[in-house]
Amino acid sequence: MRFLLLYIDPGSGSYLVQMIIAGVLAGLFYFKNAWLKIKSFFSRNKKTDLPKDQSNG
Amino acid sequence: MAEYQHHPASFRDPSGFIFFAKGNYYRQVNQSYATDFERLMSSGLYESLVKKKLLIAHEISEENFGHSTDWYKTLIPQQISFISYPYEWCFDALKDAALLTLSILKISIDHGMILKDATPFNVQFYKGKPIFIDSLSFEKYDELKPWIAYRQFCECFLFPLFIGHYLKTDIQKLLSIYLDGIPVSITAKLLPAKSKLNLGVWLHVFLQNSIAAKNKSSASNNVHFSKQKLTRLIDHLENSIKGLRIDSSIKSTWNNYYDETILSSQYLNEKEKIFRELTEDVEADSALDLGCNNGYFSEIIAGQNVPIIAIDFDSQCINQLYLSEKNKSSSNILPLCIDLSNPSPGVGFRNAERSPFEDRGKSDLVIALAIVHHLVLSKNIPLPDVARLMSDFTKRTIIIEFVPLNDPKSQQLISNKTNYHQPYDVNAFEIAFSKYFKLERKEVITGTERILYRMGKV
Repeated sequence: MRFLLLYIDPGSGSYLVQMIIAGVLAGLFYFKNAWLKIKSFFSRNKKTDLPKDQSNG
Repeated sequence: MAEYQHHPASFRDPSGFIFFAKGNYYRQVNQSYATDFERLMSSGLYESLVKKKLLIAHEISEENFGHSTDWYKTLIPQQISFISYPYEWCFDALKDAALLTLSILKISIDHGMILKDATPFNVQFYKGKPIFIDSLSFEKYDELKPWIAYRQFCECFLFPLFIGHYLKTDIQKLLSIYLDGIPVSITAKLLPAKSKLNLGVWLHVFLQNSIAAKNKSSASNNVHFSKQKLTRLIDHLENSIKGLRIDSSIKSTWNNYYDETILSSQYLNEKEKIFRELTEDVEADSALDLGCNNGYFSEIIAGQNVPIIAIDFDSQCINQLYLSEKNKSSSNILPLCIDLSNPSPGVGFRNAERSPFEDRGKSDLVIALAIVHHLVLSKNIPLPDVARLMSDFTKRTIIIEFVPLNDPKSQQLISNKTNYHQPYDVNAFEIAFSKYFKLERKEVITGTERILYRMGKV
C-alpha cells in the first residue's frame, strides 16, 4: 500500500480533504451569518429603543 | 568554492535552481518556467510582494553563467548572509513564517497566481523578519482547483505548531527528523484528545487523517473548487495559527537566569563593563553568541551594527529573544535554537542539502560567556575539545568567560557527580586555548572568581 502511495501526486490526495473542509467551513459560515442576523435583529431593536429612552430622560 | 557551482539544496524544482558564481548566489529561471515568471513580473505581484518586504528582491541578468541549454533568465537575488533552517527556529519564528506564507498566498490569488509549494525552507529571516526567498514558487491560479500545497503547508507548518501548542514541547527535534513535514497520521497520534475540541485541529488533523486513511488509492482529481472556498480555507488556517502559542510562563532551565540568579545585578554590571571594554575596538563583520540566554550581550554587539547569530539550546529563551527583536523595525540578531553539544548536522539528499551548523556558524567574533563550565562539567567534554570547538567557530576574536570549579554555579553542576574531566582550572583552560588562540586581555569580574578573556585566533 505504501508503494502505491508513492506514485500518487501528493497534492491531489489533499483535494478531497480540502473539498470536505471547505464544505464544513461553508456550513459554519452560513450558521454564523444566520446567527449574526438574528443577533443584529434584536440589537437593532434595542438601538432604536435607546434614543427614545434618552429623549425621555 | 568552485567558479560555478549548483547549490546542493536546489534541485527539486524543475523551474530553475540556485547556483554560486563569482562570489554571489544567483537563481536560474528555466525555459519551462518562462510563462509563470513573466506572469509574476507583469501581474504586479512581484512588485506588491517586494514593496511589502514579503518576497526577496532580485535583479534580472541576461548572462547564462553555466551555458545551460534550458536557460531563460538569471536572477541576482538580494544576498542573505546566513541561512537558517526551520529545525533551528523557535516556535514564534515558525509561526511567523507560516503566516508569511499565507499572506503571500492571499496576495498571489488576488493577482491570479498561487503558491505551488509551501515549505518553510522557502523562508529565511532577514533583519529580524521572515522573508520568502523562492521567486519560482508561483504559478497560474486555476479557480476550479484547491491548493496543491495544502497538505505540505499542514505538515510543514500547521502540525508542528499544533504539537508545540498542545504538547508544550520543543518542536525542533521533530522537525529535524521530518524534513518534509510531520505526517498527518503521526500528528493525529501525538495530539492529546482535548485538542479535538479545537475546530482547526479537528478539521485539519483528525478529519484529514481519517479521509486520508480511507482514500488511499483514489487521487480524486475531479473536484470543483472556487475562489471563495479557497479564501475561506486560507482565512481559517490563518486564524487557527494566530491563536497558537507556547506558554512562556513555564519555567525552562534558563529563561530566568539573569533575572533570578543571585549573581544578578552587580555581577552583570561588572561583566557588562568589562565586556564593552573588550569588544569596543574589535573589528568584525559577523558575530556568534554561544549560549546567548536572553540575548543581553548579543544586544551590545548588535548595537555596534554587527549582525550576530545568537544560539541557545533553551528554545524558550530563544523564543523570548525572537519576540523582543521582532518588535524592532530592524534587528541585527538572529536567535536560533541550537545545542552546542549537538549542533544541527548535515541532512537531506547526500547529507549536503542542509549544511551543518558548524559550516554556517563560523564568525569573525565569537562570544562564549558562562558556557565552558556547562560543556566540561555537565556534558563531559574535555577542555582541549572545547578549545577546538571554539577555534572551529572563530575566524578572528573570541570573548570567553571562565567559570572556576569553586563558583556556586559550577558546584551546582557537579553536586551529584564525580566523573568529569579534570583538571578543570584556569591553568588547564589557558593551556588548552593557547593551542588555537593568543591571549589579548584577561579581566577578573570583581566580586567573583570568574574571568573574561579576549583572545585572537592564531
